[in-house]
Amino acid sequence: MADQPTDNASSRGFRPLGGLGGRAAAATLRPFTDAAAVELETLLATALESEHMQRGIRGAFESDGGRQLVADFFDSGLFDEFVERLLASPALWHLVDEVADSPAVTAAITQQGLGFADQVTGEVRRRTRRADAWLERAAQRLLPRRWRTADAADEAHPEASR
Amino acid sequence: MSAQTRYIGLVTRIVAFALDAAVINLVALLVSLGASLILSLFHVDHVLKDVLVVVGGVVYVVWTIAYFVTFWCTTGETPGERVMRIRVVASNGDRVKPRWALVRCAGAVLSALPLFAGYLLILFDRRRRGLLDIVARTVVIESPTLSLAAIRRQRRRAEQALRSSHSGDERGASVSQA
Repeated sequence: MADQPTDNASSRGFRPLGGLGGRAAAATLRPFTDAAAVELETLLATALESEHMQRGIRGAFESDGGRQLVADFFDSGLFDEFVERLLASPALWHLVDEVADSPAVTAAITQQGLGFADQVTGEVRRRTRRADAWLERAAQRLLPRRWRTADAADEAHPEASR
Repeated sequence: MSAQTRYIGLVTRIVAFALDAAVINLVALLVSLGASLILSLFHVDHVLKDVLVVVGGVVYVVWTIAYFVTFWCTTGETPGERVMRIRVVASNGDRVKPRWALVRCAGAVLSALPLFAGYLLILFDRRRRGLLDIVARTVVIESPTLSLAAIRRQRRRAEQALRSSHSGDERGASVSQA
């Protein structure tokens, strides 16, 4: 308690002036800080887009040292610990529950399921129509030529007989 | 029936019938399971048990006939036929009447009696009709994507829209006369 600065009456009296001064200084410096931020952003973008930098990063990743660094990271057990802690955290499972219960996800899963069922039944329909035509052609071959009605079957399902 | 009508062959109809049989038997199985569980709570003597078995058999037959007749008379397609996109209609394209649906059910049994020869007629008939279709004066055709109920709903909406536009015109005319 003794180390903490004392909050006496005189300092309390100067506080509004201090706040005013701070705001004024911030307002005066804002154009400079904004300009500096824009410059810094441009500088970083240029540096990252430059061919030298790209080549350097690629070289670092492809070098033995880079690979060793990645291998050391996974061997150190840091990643395992991170995953273990993540799985142990209730917040993660809360997030998973929220996502699973969200109407958008449910609708997407339902849509996916219906789409799949439609696809399966569509394929079954196509195959059975083809089997109809095939079976009829086979049956018609058993009949004498003048009794055959295979043409009618083909007319009934032109695409199935192909 | 128009020249564009596509008649449905034997394999598609067998698959549709298999799906319907699965639905019918699944429901029957669940109901009989429930009934037997309830009856297991009471002491039932042998005679009554036999009577209940007979009643159960009759109920099963009635349920099966009711299933097909109801669907053929209302939408023209059972759930199995809906999946296979096929529909039973009268030879002139109208909806099947209840008595003809009953005749078709009887025809289905008759077709199966001589080693399913009644169904083999589908392979040789120009309109792909089996014995059951010939006796009930029906054909099995490819169903449009929209169900009969959806078509009816669309027609009703169109009629309502037409009627409301007519009434609006009459009201406008009376206002202009006044």
